Amino acid sequence: MFLQQLVNGLTLGSTYSLLALGFTLVLGLLNMLNIAHGDVFMFGAFLGLSFAMLGVPLYLALILAMAGAGIVTIIIERLCFRPLRKAHFLMPLLSTIAFGIVLQNVATQIWGSEPVRYPQATEITQFQLGPVLVSSIDIIILATSLVLMLGIDQFVKRTSFGRAMRATSEKPQTASLLGVNINWVIIFTFFVSGALAGVAGVLTALVYLQITPFIGIRQGLIGMVAMVIGGVGNLRGAMIGGLIIGIIEVMNDAYFTAGYRDIILFGLFLAFIVFKPEGLFGTKER
Amino acid sequence: MLEIAHISKHFGGLKALEEITFHVKEKQIYGLIGPNGAGKTTLFNLITGFLPATHGSIQFLGNELTGLKAHKIAKLGIARTFQNIRLFSTMTVKENVLVAQNIRARSGVTSLVRLFSAKEKRFEEEADDLLKRMGLWEKRKEQSLSLAYGEQRRLEIARALALEPRLLLLDEPAAGMNEAETEDLLDRISEIRNMGKTVFLIEHDMNVVMGICDYISVLNFGELIAQGTPDEIQASEAVIEAYLGREEE
Amino acid sequence: MSVYTQGVVALMGVNILMALSVYAIVMADQVSLGNAGFMAIGAYTSAYLSVKFGIPIFPSLIIGALAASFIGILIGIPILRLEGLYFVMGTFGFGEVVRSFFMNFEPTGGAYGFRGPVGATLPMIYGWVLAFMVFFWLLERSRLGRSLDALRDDAEVASSIGLNVTLLKLGVFWLGSFTAGIAGGLYAHYMFYIESGNFHILVSAMAILCVILGGMYTFWGALLGGVIFSILPEVLRFMGGWRLSVYGSVLVLMMIFRPSGIISRHMVRNAGEWVGGIFRKASS
Repeated sequence: MFLQQLVNGLTLGSTYSLLALGFTLVLGLLNMLNIAHGDVFMFGAFLGLSFAMLGVPLYLALILAMAGAGIVTIIIERLCFRPLRKAHFLMPLLSTIAFGIVLQNVATQIWGSEPVRYPQATEITQFQLGPVLVSSIDIIILATSLVLMLGIDQFVKRTSFGRAMRATSEKPQTASLLGVNINWVIIFTFFVSGALAGVAGVLTALVYLQITPFIGIRQGLIGMVAMVIGGVGNLRGAMIGGLIIGIIEVMNDAYFTAGYRDIILFGLFLAFIVFKPEGLFGTKER
Repeated sequence: MLEIAHISKHFGGLKALEEITFHVKEKQIYGLIGPNGAGKTTLFNLITGFLPATHGSIQFLGNELTGLKAHKIAKLGIARTFQNIRLFSTMTVKENVLVAQNIRARSGVTSLVRLFSAKEKRFEEEADDLLKRMGLWEKRKEQSLSLAYGEQRRLEIARALALEPRLLLLDEPAAGMNEAETEDLLDRISEIRNMGKTVFLIEHDMNVVMGICDYISVLNFGELIAQGTPDEIQASEAVIEAYLGREEE
Repeated sequence: MSVYTQGVVALMGVNILMALSVYAIVMADQVSLGNAGFMAIGAYTSAYLSVKFGIPIFPSLIIGALAASFIGILIGIPILRLEGLYFVMGTFGFGEVVRSFFMNFEPTGGAYGFRGPVGATLPMIYGWVLAFMVFFWLLERSRLGRSLDALRDDAEVASSIGLNVTLLKLGVFWLGSFTAGIAGGLYAHYMFYIESGNFHILVSAMAILCVILGGMYTFWGALLGGVIFSILPEVLRFMGGWRLSVYGSVLVLMMIFRPSGIISRHMVRNAGEWVGGIFRKASS
């Protein structure tokens, strides 16, 4: 039973990891939160839904949702971050709050505010691995998340573009003098961040099977919690933080009262912000 | 009145200041000179509580300053200006001066109902006086940043004076000034001393330093390499070396 | 006035108070995303006192707001020392904790909400709005207000002229949480029924957006923002469901082109001098 919950926690947690990664990529780069990130997640879920309803196979819908979410996030960069570089540092954050409201409203207008059923995208088969029941959806989620996280981790660590990203996040002026095209690094990072949110959206929708335009708020917040617990700006921290949060959430629902779930998660968040803001693994370490 | 004793400031491995010891007497005009990066502004930042000292103590009129927060140090009677002028850009000239009176005027919640009291009138008159003496009264309603550079410097000094400090710290007050303005500045600093205040200034312009300082400390690479009267300093080998580099044998 | 319009006007009053609560904190250069939490504390506390103990509305509002501002101090002390972004995150963490707390707290109904408080009338609501506006008007002109301006302008220099920055930040945080507490109490006593979903983070976000739109450097901005935000849905009915998108887009554009909002301090200053001039002419 415990192992079962652990697997469920890891599955849910990996979607949080993707969200946290997206948050932390932008925050690590520009030192600012993109509050609309949760709504991008929601938008990605709906995009995936629309493509799936058009009969597109799951993996393609996933990729298209990723691309769509990435593009939306680039728009966010263009409207909420770039023109406000010289303004008070909290301005982009406030602007993304407004943008998030627009995204929610647009989604409500297009898809309605009632919960929408996610179509059965593939055959769900169940595998019995010892005491644990794992569905093919779980495997898809875990596998996709793992591949993406490993990919990003290696990309940032090993490629020259990854180095450019790290340089820009630490010392933008120096990086620029050394020939790094800051704007391209920023645009790319935002795209990746959005793409991750989009994937997380589709995957989460596959778990819960129904979505509304308002899921972004809560999921986004939980992604932020995961990011802080793992360590702001720390990619590995974000990934592990997400898994931890997912496990806590599932364990809480299984062994404790589901009602207290948010208190525990946000209480943990508050505790970390006040007492251990660098998170479990330290900030800005890549 | 200001005792600097064995003050050191390390930033990790970097020794910005090492074992600095000297004292400033009341009503002196004391100068702190040294090449760029010698640690002069860092010392000011330690005195005014902007940075914590790594070792050592700073005593002012019997009070230990190290470990105190900046606003407490200001309340004890130390005011400062900044190397790169930091006026309140969202305020007018007069408002910059008025706000500096807040530690002397009633400026808590009661200030909401004291808008028209007699005391307030007096403080306003004080501010007007100060502005007139600094030659800024005509521009009192202008936005602070619309002033010319020299006027902005005078405003920063006016703001510092509005605190009625015992000790005034001036960080490169003559920077960017022409000869006429520098002459004017020297006169004003004299006036400030005549008001009973002590002035401690950082400067690069030797005319200012030699012209008006009673006593000078020289810093280089975070260490005190010489102390003395202007004549003594001008004759000091160590100082010449620091500024000009060692003579090639 | 129809019942429906009454409702809109009443809620507008609450929105204005919430916007003022955000503005109070903005005066010390901080942004709070958690004022809905203080609103909730004020709402539930005053509602509980009214319904279970029969305490009349005025004292129960005050006690509710004092409870909210007490919690504000408790939470303010640790998070005010955090740098800007972490402060914002701390406030929204707080707001969410409060919301989920009330969702589970049985004595106030838990997930079923709390029923019963009555007594808030339009004159009462706007009486409070007026009182707060007078307070902020005085604050803006006073030495305390100028200390806050200095803090916002350059906090380091502000402390170098003797201003206790930490105390100032704590003070405005108390004020903001108190104001939100009053807003919550009035809301509860007007709506007759409250539940944790009413104190969602979006409520905090909307209050912030009111201040951004109306003007971040004067309390008149919070007033204008609150009014616009409450009336806009009615006026833009013809846009149907797209009103929020329009509102949000306007805000995003406003951040780019006029980040300080519609009403600037300059405008207020000029308006004040203009009005003063008229009085002087009239009395000469």
